[in-house]
Amino acid sequence: MPLTSILLLAATLAFAAAVVQALRALKSGRWKQGNVQLLPVAAGFALQTAFLYYRGQEVGQCPMKSLADILVFIGWSVVLLYFLVGSGFRLSLLGVFTAPLVTIMQSIALVQGFQPYAVKGKINALVELHAAVALIAYAAFALACITGVMYLVQERLLKLHRIGGLFYQLPPIQGLAKAIQRLVGLGLVLLSAALGISFALHTPVSNPKLVFSWIVWALYAVISFLMWRHVTSPRRTAWLAVVGFVLPFISLWIVTHA
Amino acid sequence: MPDPADNNIRATGTLVCVGLNYKTTPVEVRERLAFPEAVVPQAVKNIRELPGFGESVVLSTCNRVELYASHELPEAPQSHDALRDYLVRHFQLQPEHAEAMVLYQLDAAEAARHLFRVVSGLDSMVLGETEIFGQVKAAYKTALDHGTTGKTLNKLFQQAFTVGKRVRNDTMIQRGSTSVGSVAVDLAEKVHDLKECRVMLVGAGEMSRTCAQSLLSRGAKSIIVSNRSYDKAVELAEEMKGRAMKFDEWEHALHEVDVIISSTSAPHFVIKPEQIEQTMRKRRWDPLLIIDIAVPRDVDPAVNAIEGVYLYDIDALQAIADDGRRERERQLVLCERIIEEQLAKFGFVGA
Repeated sequence: MPLTSILLLAATLAFAAAVVQALRALKSGRWKQGNVQLLPVAAGFALQTAFLYYRGQEVGQCPMKSLADILVFIGWSVVLLYFLVGSGFRLSLLGVFTAPLVTIMQSIALVQGFQPYAVKGKINALVELHAAVALIAYAAFALACITGVMYLVQERLLKLHRIGGLFYQLPPIQGLAKAIQRLVGLGLVLLSAALGISFALHTPVSNPKLVFSWIVWALYAVISFLMWRHVTSPRRTAWLAVVGFVLPFISLWIVTHA
Repeated sequence: MPDPADNNIRATGTLVCVGLNYKTTPVEVRERLAFPEAVVPQAVKNIRELPGFGESVVLSTCNRVELYASHELPEAPQSHDALRDYLVRHFQLQPEHAEAMVLYQLDAAEAARHLFRVVSGLDSMVLGETEIFGQVKAAYKTALDHGTTGKTLNKLFQQAFTVGKRVRNDTMIQRGSTSVGSVAVDLAEKVHDLKECRVMLVGAGEMSRTCAQSLLSRGAKSIIVSNRSYDKAVELAEEMKGRAMKFDEWEHALHEVDVIISSTSAPHFVIKPEQIEQTMRKRRWDPLLIIDIAVPRDVDPAVNAIEGVYLYDIDALQAIADDGRRERERQLVLCERIIEEQLAKFGFVGA
């Protein structure tokens, strides 16, 4: 097995371990946010980073051309953003909800496999930057989707008077609603930057990848507007953040097969 | 807290605990036997100076008065009598009151087990409550600062704090809420950031006052009190450093608050879906927690169906508090096991 596959497999197992550890702690009611809970996620992140480094060496560019590579890159970005925003929003349980998504994405990537791909001409740094920023934006949307799930779970527990283990661990719904709004905003700013770079490349809507990126941008611009103007309830906007992520996810297939 | 090792070690004696609590003694007697904070330093010194005694700690809270000491008397009952006589003298009890005073008298392992249970919140009125841990720490610190502890009590209390922490960390004895007031706080905390939380009392009953006080003590931002009797509203608002509102005005302020606690004696619904729908539009869907303590209910149950509104009536609150109590009682076996393990580990009982 090549080194990159070993690294990714180890990273996936680390995230799966984080899921199992968290579920056991939550089930027994002894969940407490601390460094111990973060260890498997941190180990997974280190292994992801090592994978991306060696994969980059292998293909001679930023590894973002195949679906498997993109899934790993988004998974890496999701964890990076989790470390950046999780503590800021006091969303200690976000890691628990993040780990399953990353485990699934990386499992798909492992099943797909990693093929070598040829470098087409000289590498354009702006193109690489555009792609990287766009994928980090998608990671912010993924995190907004996960936070949306947390909101919907907590909202349901409150509405149905199910005051139990998970209820005490989840943050207040108002805080979750604000986190969704900020994550969608962050993703939108990053995607705008990525699309702005595409103008510098003189190809703003030159191919299906960019067209789809613009559609994703428009969707999240609408969601962001609805949240900003409080046009609809936080529950509905949480649903939008969850369901809305389907579009960027579909676009990954289009991007990789265009 | 100073290192007990630095303290002058006076004695290694037999451990004794004499005391009374809410289980043995009614409040009207307990309040007469409580040591005011300022008196405790002298009390610990006086006990230590009793013939045959070497160390002392006095724990005096609203629910218990306990004297922990070490002695070198040949018989345990002598130490019990000496501490009992001290209480009678200190509080200048009449013979009939002294006769009626029911004390528990515990020696060695029994005294250690009792302290471990007390520190862990297992002997508290509200099972698993945490305040007692701080109260025991403060009592020990007072004695330590006044030089009335030595090898026996220093070791015992340090062990007790270790056991208390272990019980809290390794079990779920603290989990859940066991009273209507604490359930209200838990719910408010899961809807809003409490520091930003504005509360409105509609009706000024005793239970709503308790809930509001719980919320304020945990950091709620402000309170509005509205009552049919405006004077009563003003009185309660002043007590809680809030704002009073005439009863015909509260509807107009609904959108300004995040938690409504309703407890009027109205025979019909006071808060109706159409009012709350309008309120939610004004609040721009900011979530609203409504706690209906009144019987008959003040709030139409249909309100709970409105987006962003979370309605809890007295039965719902009571059911959550009962669940919390049951959950804690289930944890009791586990807590007692930890205490027995620790008693064996520290050599109080055979392993």
